[in-house]
Order: sequence, then C-alpha cells, then structure tokens
Amino acid sequence: MLMPHPLRRAAALVGAGESDEIGFIEGKSSLQLHAEAVRNAVRDAGVRWEEIDGIFATGGSGRFPAAALAEYLGIRPRYMDSTQMGGSSFLFFVHHALAAIATGEIEVAVISHGECGFSGPRRGGRGTGGAHEFDPWDPGELYERLYGAWGAPSFYAHAMNRYMHRFGATKEDFARIAVVTREWATLNPRAVMHSKETHPYGGPIDVETVVGSRVIAWPLSLLDCCLVTDHGAAVVLTTPERARSLRHPPVWVEGAGEALSHMNMSQMEDFTATSARDSSARAYRMAGMGPGEMEMAMIYDSFTYTAAVTAEMLGLTPRGEGASLWAGDDARPGGRFPVNTNGGGLAFSHSGMYGMMLLVEAQRQLARSAEGLPGRQVAARSAVVNGTGGSLSTTATLVLTAD
Amino acid sequence: MSPPEEPAYTRPIPDPDTIAAGPFWSGAAEGRLMLPRCRQCSRAHFYPRTICPHCHSHELEWEEASGEGTVHTFAVQHRGLGGWNDETPFVTAFIDLREGVRMMTVLRGVDAGDPASIAIGAPVRVEFERAAEGVFVPFWRVVEPPPPAASSPGEGGC
Repeated sequence: MLMPHPLRRAAALVGAGESDEIGFIEGKSSLQLHAEAVRNAVRDAGVRWEEIDGIFATGGSGRFPAAALAEYLGIRPRYMDSTQMGGSSFLFFVHHALAAIATGEIEVAVISHGECGFSGPRRGGRGTGGAHEFDPWDPGELYERLYGAWGAPSFYAHAMNRYMHRFGATKEDFARIAVVTREWATLNPRAVMHSKETHPYGGPIDVETVVGSRVIAWPLSLLDCCLVTDHGAAVVLTTPERARSLRHPPVWVEGAGEALSHMNMSQMEDFTATSARDSSARAYRMAGMGPGEMEMAMIYDSFTYTAAVTAEMLGLTPRGEGASLWAGDDARPGGRFPVNTNGGGLAFSHSGMYGMMLLVEAQRQLARSAEGLPGRQVAARSAVVNGTGGSLSTTATLVLTAD
Repeated sequence: MSPPEEPAYTRPIPDPDTIAAGPFWSGAAEGRLMLPRCRQCSRAHFYPRTICPHCHSHELEWEEASGEGTVHTFAVQHRGLGGWNDETPFVTAFIDLREGVRMMTVLRGVDAGDPASIAIGAPVRVEFERAAEGVFVPFWRVVEPPPPAASSPGEGGC
C-alpha cells in the first residue's frame, strides 16, 4: 500500500483576515495593510501573538518583506520567508509553511500580503506585482520590455491569442467567465464591483458588455482584466493539535505543489498551457485525491484567459475547453461546482498579487465563515486552489478539505 | 551635403550587456542577427546567456542566424512603455526563428487596426533600427501571405 505523503494534513488553516478597508484606499502604506490583515487574522483564528513563530510575507513592502512586517508588528519570529514568485507567492508560502510545521520547526505560521496596487504608483511607488530592483541587463528589460510591453495584459494577450488560434475559442467564451464571476461579486458586499453603489461599473454584467468594453491589449478587453486595488490579507496556519483547539473548524492542507515553466515570456514553450498541470499533479498526489473529488475551485483570474487555461491544467475540463467550466450553471451561485466565490480578481479585488485572496476565500468557505448575502456561503467540503504568477510563469496549487 | 537627420528614437533604448551578449548587439549594428549556439549539445538559445539552458555547458559560440521566422502569436497594444505610448495601437509578437528559438518584437508590415488581418504563422524577416550611437534594435516584418495551417513546436499533446 502506498504510504501517505508526510506533509499531507500536517497543518490546517485556522483563520483569515483582510485589511480594514479594501479597494481604493488613499493614505495607507502597504505595511499598514499587512498589519491590519494580520491583526484581523490572528483575532479570527484565536491564536496569541506570542505563539507566532513563522512569518511568510511579500507584497509592496520593500526588499525584505518578512523582516519589514515582523519589525512593524513588533515580533521576532524564528522562521522567515519572503519568497517572491509573483501573485502565486502566497500559495508557495503554504507549501513552505507546511514543511516547517510538519518537521516541528514552527507551530504557528502567519502568511501575509499587503500591497497598494492602486494608490502606490499614484504617490510615486514602483507599481505592483512585487517590488523589484531595476537592472538594465535583466533579460526582460533587454529583450521584451524594449518593445513597449508595459504590464501583465500586454504579455497575457499573446497567450490568449495563440490559444484562440489553436482551439477556436472566442472572446464570448472568455467573457462568460467575467459574467459568472461578477454574479459572485454581487453576493459579496466587500467586492469592489458588488454594485453600482460600490463602483460606477459594478453590479451584474452580460457577455455583450464584456466583449464591447474598451480594448486594453487585443484580444483582452477591459472587463477581461482584473481590478487594480489596494489590499491586505493574511491567514494563520498551525499544527493539527493546535488547530483542533481553536474556534474555526480546521481547513486541512491535503496537498500542495509548486512549479514553473519560465520567467520571461520568450522562454514559454507552450503558450496555451501553464505549469499548473505540474503543480496540481503534485498537490493531488500528496492529497491522494483527484480533480473529480474537488467540490469547488479558487482559480487565479488575473484575466478571463488565466482562469480558463488554468481550469484545464487543474483537470477540471478537457483540454482546449477551459471556458466551458463557466458555460452552464455549475460555476455560478447555487451551482454544483462553485468557482471564485469571492468575486475573483475580476470583480472582488486584485492589488497586483492576488494569491492571498484565493487563500482567504477558500479558508472562509470551507470553515463556513463566508459572510455576505444569502447564497454566498457554499456547501463544498473540498477545494482546489491555484495561483499563477509572472507572465503565466509560476504556479502553486493547494488541495484543501474540511471534516 | 550631410545626410538628412534620422527621427529621434523615443522608445526604450537597450543598454547592451556586452559580456553575455556582446556579439548580439555588435552584430545588430552591422545588420546581422547573431545567436549563441552550444558546442556540446549543438542547440541554439535566445536570449543570450553564459550557460546553455539545454545542457548547462559553458562552451558557447556565436553564429549568424538566417533572419527568417514565423509569427507564433501576436497582440495589439493600446498602451505602451515610454515612447511606444505615442505609437498606439501597435502590434507586438513572438517570433519562432528558423533556428528553433523564440524572440519578442514589435511586428512590422501589419495593420494594428485590423487584428483579423494579421496571421499567426505568417513568415517574417528581421531588420534593424538605430536606437542610439552604436545601438541597433532588431524588428521583424511580415514578408508575404502565410501558408495554410502553420504549426509550431512546443505544443505537443496535452
């Protein structure tokens, strides 16, 4: 008989929090957003500050994010990790924290994110997606940004076009993802696009509106693209024993896997795939579960295309049919397989590095603490969660369950 | 009589990495596309670096490439970095070179206002534009109508 993986269920998510405000917040630094989120997550979990012995952090908080955050909070952990893999970093952190908890190095890990994706650049910051030092000899500078590519949409559009060419998918197929995701946002009062009261373009949308929205980088239109916001979020992860003593039902990490295919897009072998095929295979193997046993999904949706291709890589749809996950009623509120129940990066919030929001939402759904309008809390007992970072470059996948 | 002034190059100007990629940039200044090839495994790579990404050998040499390729995929940019922002919409593309490597470019010889008229698989040729004293930037231009059903390596089965 196959031995279970030593990291399987070695830790559980026991609480989650966000910054006091999310969206477009003038006047708060990324560290302040981190700190509010950690305070709220620690309170939600019911752990004591002095129990925190591992800090895992990145975001718009300087060159040493974990150090900056620990200092700001006034704690001196004995395990620190500032891994930077783009927006998927926070799911990499779960894998790393799982190993640290399983080996007894730490008992209570805090994973944190804080980023002024919207207001930071307006006060002269370096922008989103993780602070980086500028080197004019970086291959991305020398051979790609040279040609005017200015951000994620300008790169991702190339992959979407190749995919449409290869599989015959249409802009309407992708637009449906934005429509369904927006439906979830209408159930979440904290979603930036919840309603016309929360945003001029908020509230329900239809396929025609998405397809007809302003072109950003063809074939990507405005409503194929995620928001750009200010956001802080954090989760607490601890041992099975400690988890069982806390207020929320434990959300078990059954499986975790990480992978990358490239950093710069010229090195991307297959523009119609991502390394989530590998990271999810690793996570499913650790969990001893497969895509057919998943009851909901949290899928990084920097763009409608990102969500579609990832659905395939996670084994949730046949190859070339990723958008079909959203085509019927399954992924919608009330459906049999809820997807991106917070409203996604498309309509909830996305500060540049969205991975933490996936994690917060998955914890809340499986712990039955998702607040909002009726229908937002789903009945799923298992979830697959996948983050994508860079230019479809890095991925990390988690398999989570509730008892 | 002096030659007419060339229009200023207002886009991002590369700062050539002369150790890892010297021949790439000096070749560009002479209108030649130079690629590194590994003496151990015989495979070319791009972007230029000091280790072969296929077999990790340090025994690399430079060769002049054919300058021919096909459009792997493209996008139409409605915002651009630096001076490119004044040239929107413009078409960016990834080119599959005959030598088996892939390069990004701004694609020339196409209509950015009509994406449907631009063909994945279209044959392209390299050309160079002066960006600064001694610094030339490679660009790829569509040269003729595409052949039917072009495919590309790397998209194997699924």
